[in-house]
Amino acid sequence: MSARSRSTETTGRVPAIAERDVQRQERFEDELIMHLERDQFVEETSRPVARAELGIAVTSALWALRIFVVLVSLMVIYTFFHQLH
Amino acid sequence: MSATEATGAGVALPPPLTAEDAARSHDRSRVHHARAHSRRWRLLWLLVGPGILAMLGENDGPSMIAYASDGAQYGLGLFVPLIPILFGMAFVCQEMCMRVGAVTHRGYGELVLQRYGRVWGWFGAGDLTLTNLVTLVAEFVAIRVGLAYFHLGSGVAVALGLALVLFTLSGGRYWRWERIVLGLALFNGLFLVAAILVKPDIGTIASAFDFTPFPGGSFNTLLLLLASTIGATVTPWMIFFQQSASADKGMTPVDIRHGRYDTATGAVLASIFGLGALIAGAALLTRGGSAIQGFDGAGFPQALKQVAGGAAGTAFALGLVEAGAVAILTISASTAYAAGECVGVSHSFNSSPRNAAVFYVANIGSALVAAAVILIPGAPLLSIALNANVLATVLLPVSLIFMVMLANDKRLMGPWVNGRSTNTLGIAVIAFVGICGAAYGIDSFLQSVGLIGS
Repeated sequence: MSARSRSTETTGRVPAIAERDVQRQERFEDELIMHLERDQFVEETSRPVARAELGIAVTSALWALRIFVVLVSLMVIYTFFHQLH
Repeated sequence: MSATEATGAGVALPPPLTAEDAARSHDRSRVHHARAHSRRWRLLWLLVGPGILAMLGENDGPSMIAYASDGAQYGLGLFVPLIPILFGMAFVCQEMCMRVGAVTHRGYGELVLQRYGRVWGWFGAGDLTLTNLVTLVAEFVAIRVGLAYFHLGSGVAVALGLALVLFTLSGGRYWRWERIVLGLALFNGLFLVAAILVKPDIGTIASAFDFTPFPGGSFNTLLLLLASTIGATVTPWMIFFQQSASADKGMTPVDIRHGRYDTATGAVLASIFGLGALIAGAALLTRGGSAIQGFDGAGFPQALKQVAGGAAGTAFALGLVEAGAVAILTISASTAYAAGECVGVSHSFNSSPRNAAVFYVANIGSALVAAAVILIPGAPLLSIALNANVLATVLLPVSLIFMVMLANDKRLMGPWVNGRSTNTLGIAVIAFVGICGAAYGIDSFLQSVGLIGS
């Protein structure tokens, strides 16, 4: 079953020429779908991945590094303004 | 596994096809066709892009001026072996980005935010926004320097940069954007042309590979050179860009080998072209090179014209325009990817502006803000440009640590997690970058407040 036929309800009689167009479109979409992996679809990638559990040691180390980097950045920014004057 | 393969008891229904999926699938169909028919060169052509763009995008205006300035002040020693080593380090980092993007089909920003929490995701995005804005200003300054050689001013630099951003975004396809920027990026080779035109002594270049010690100057100068040279080869935007671009291109684990070729090619080309700028600058070593203000007036192109002729000056000037222009495109793109990923909305060149408004607004907006800064009379553009690479180096270690964590995450990466050697190299790179950046920041600060002498 194609993606199009799943999402489209067919009602009443369809003229033969229009039906051929619909079938052509369905075949085209099926071929397109074949070239992507399931987890490449926008619908799949828009689902968030599960949150990782970080231990206290890792979290503390990350915070220590973050604070250190912010402090050094502030030093660089201070030096930048100091050099301007 | 492809979308239509059977799972479990029955056939798994494919998810609904969006316009973004359809565009990506068109690109993938060509890859599948080339692979099925064993057309190796065609396959390589289709799969190269994000790696070369990240590496040549980082050979940006400030970086090339920094290399030329190194050559003009200190000659070739130390820097000739240092530049290839630093691009080797960049390869280690960028290969991880490509691999994580190809396996997870997600960008760096969204993975950090979802996997490790919003605080870390937004910290990363904040670092990126700050360094990208500063760097984008420096790119416009570099274009202005290149254009000043042709007697054109800041207004033309701004118009050129913004026109390129709008033109490349107009197609609504990743493939189109990538190929246009790739075509422009190859003109980074103009720095090699400039190096050839100054007729360097090959023996002197070869002898520089003997790891000549630092040629002179203070400890702080050495730290500044190291920090700015590292910032010229590995930066936070490259991490965001290559992972997101690999996902946007539609790369899969099957393409990882070609992704490595792409990244390695980018590193080799960037290294050669960076050495070109260094060698061109070194031609000015004994001719007042140390007095040249790289970001002021027509800087190095004008000086090269006087020493090596108009052709060398023109090649260097056009190279600067190219380097700035390509970096504006790639850095704006990394800002746009990060914005879309952190807000949690569509973030792809394959989406229309209506479906990915945040992505397009961030892309154009970041370039607009930087362009506006260089038009402010009296703005400290020289200082901004000089400090852009240093700030990127200081903020880089946190981004790199999360990159290594993602690449080691078995739940995300499965069999494609980092090997032991990649982890060893990755941690060594983080330590080296962290120590150089922090040492310069602390040493400069202590000098500024008068606690130590210069």
